[in-house]
Amino acid sequence: MSRRTLLRVALVLGAALSLSLGSLDTSAAEPLGAGGKAPDFPKLRDMAGVEFDTEKDLKGKLTLVNFWATWCQPCMVEMKHLDRLHKAYKDKGFQVVSVSIDDARSKSMVKPIVKRNGYGFRVLYDTETQLVSVVNPAKTLPYNMLIGDDLTVLWTHLGYTPGDEVKMEEKIKANLPTSLSAPGN
Amino acid sequence: MRLASVAGALAVVGAPAYALELWGTGTLANSTLTVLNDLEVRYWQVPDRLEGFEDRDVLNYVEQVNRTNLLLSKPGLSIGLQVDQVALFANRYYLDDELLHERVLYDPNQIISPWDDALVVSEKMFLTKSWDGVEVTVGDVYGSFGRGIALNIVKNTDIDVDTSMRGARLKVSSGDIDITALSGLTNVQQISQDNPNQGIERGVADMVSGMQIAHYGLGPFQGTAHGAMFTFGRVEDQGREAIGRYGQAVDAASAGVGLTLLGAAGVDWYVEGDVIRYFAAELADGDEDGLLGHAVYGSAAAYPGKTTVFVEAKHTVDTERLNLFTAGENYEVASVPTLEYERVITEDGSAAVNSNDVSGARVRIDYAANPGVFVPYLAVTGLRDRDLGGLHFNQSPETVVHPVAGLQWFEGERVVQLNTGFRRDQRDDTAAGSDRLAHLDGELHVPVGHGNAIELAMGVKSFWWGNNPAQQTDFLEMENALVWHHGEQWQFVLYQDWSNNPLVTSDGNLGEQLYGAVEVKYEPRSNTEMRLFYGAYKAGIRCSGGQCRQLPGFEGARFAWTSRF
Repeated sequence: MSRRTLLRVALVLGAALSLSLGSLDTSAAEPLGAGGKAPDFPKLRDMAGVEFDTEKDLKGKLTLVNFWATWCQPCMVEMKHLDRLHKAYKDKGFQVVSVSIDDARSKSMVKPIVKRNGYGFRVLYDTETQLVSVVNPAKTLPYNMLIGDDLTVLWTHLGYTPGDEVKMEEKIKANLPTSLSAPGN
Repeated sequence: MRLASVAGALAVVGAPAYALELWGTGTLANSTLTVLNDLEVRYWQVPDRLEGFEDRDVLNYVEQVNRTNLLLSKPGLSIGLQVDQVALFANRYYLDDELLHERVLYDPNQIISPWDDALVVSEKMFLTKSWDGVEVTVGDVYGSFGRGIALNIVKNTDIDVDTSMRGARLKVSSGDIDITALSGLTNVQQISQDNPNQGIERGVADMVSGMQIAHYGLGPFQGTAHGAMFTFGRVEDQGREAIGRYGQAVDAASAGVGLTLLGAAGVDWYVEGDVIRYFAAELADGDEDGLLGHAVYGSAAAYPGKTTVFVEAKHTVDTERLNLFTAGENYEVASVPTLEYERVITEDGSAAVNSNDVSGARVRIDYAANPGVFVPYLAVTGLRDRDLGGLHFNQSPETVVHPVAGLQWFEGERVVQLNTGFRRDQRDDTAAGSDRLAHLDGELHVPVGHGNAIELAMGVKSFWWGNNPAQQTDFLEMENALVWHHGEQWQFVLYQDWSNNPLVTSDGNLGEQLYGAVEVKYEPRSNTEMRLFYGAYKAGIRCSGGQCRQLPGFEGARFAWTSRF
């Protein structure tokens, strides 16, 4: 590659990165999206066929919306921790709402995965990717979105590495509607 | 000038992420605007050499891809836009002002761009407005009916396929009834985030229309009735207005019903039947009266004690030919559940996945020894593949048997996932023998203290051909990764691939069959990730959700920046 080409690449990259760096504040406690209103949820149904109602089912509760699919291995690992958090804090105004983005072909496999692991949270089908298209258009999984009791997005997180659940629990405890900071309190 | 233009385009789309509230008193007052951005720059080291210049790497080039998603939302309203941009650098080689080699980004006869080596495309756009029980979307929409046999046009992230329908979608919900109607012209994503962008062409759009009525309150039953119709674009339609598809004869139509029964005798049941009518001569094997295909799919899940038993079965006749026109553009308009362990599908195995005429069943039994912690399983798939055309290497029908066993063990931050199996494709013509595949894949994650953890991901498969005149070389392939997680923000990865499969189109960088790479990942905060990769990985087939795609290998350096807010 010629020196001239390298210079051109460096210039273009520099332009892009300098724009990007403007918002990269690693000390920020919250992502830039925090504080925005949760997007409108389309009409989805859960495994029992019951329709999810954004107003009724989200308002007044701290909700972790988790996007996953049966083919996503990190999702499988993460869900066990989500279930623990759901059970630990459900009496304190917290809930996990899990959204499967499996397409029609693998929809039959969703419930067996939930049942065999004994998960207690509600699972919605987003077969036509109506919801995930709005909150995470790249549809990379897993994806989590913590929504406050006033429908404000408090935190988002992409991907899962064992240990991430610690950060997740801190966020949940800090935002519980009843301001309780630990299970059993 | 060209550089300035590209930099200008980047300035528009390169900023990573912002979310802000809009104020005022207009229609968009109190909306939230979210910007998401993925930037990737790849330096391609091309192993081929230009004839006469074998001592120089003049074919190497740089590719930069950017994907920006804008979303404006408020209660009852969502407006989305996806803009992709790609640029090539060092993609031409001149000697004494003579052009000796060029890598063309797009076909200028089909695509208009102010830049020779850069392209900006508004890939997807939509506006969704909802009222009580009514939701209307105009722009790019997706559709999936029943179990996808009649219609299944959705984004497949795994294999970088995103075809939508540019048109309109209406969903009406009233009590237990949902009615969905949609119609549009297929819109294939043109700029690829993961694969090399070269010679980009505008596809020929197909017309798709469909409707589904779902009832969730039929006593213990839930039922759906659905149908779709298709008018496919031909090569000769290239350059014609795509809206004209609406005026052309329908090429195929599908219709079906699905029935769900939850908890009857402790079992969750689902059964679906579909018929597909082919009108177009190309789809009906030239039969002027048309051709009728059909499919039946059923599943049952029971949960006795700590055991989960899941059974699914299918029977299809002339279903896959519905994708004849679209397969060349790497997407499918509909397909039947595969029943297969898709992670290990090979070129040979993909034939059964994409078979026109196949019947079979899969049984999977999970035993939750410690629910959510330790769950081993055993699964067996049996398929009878009667199709001999298309991708099939075999000249006679075959019977596929594929047992798979595995386990998941999640204890604190310790993770073990293992899957292993053996597949045999036994041809009826015993002289043709059988193809066999043995495979093992798994993941191990172990914390080692002070915020550090070691992760090992591995996959290996060995394939033995039967008596096959088209391909006789048995092969072994493996893909491994060793990851050091350092704190919450850093990951250091070593990758190693190995393959002696002659169907693999790439060459190794550490040897003809051996590939190696290093990668550093940095996550400064929860929704921003940067990755720097150097080395090579192999090409190969990857299947997801019933779709298979041949993905190219890569050698070179790559920088990726992903931000989501």
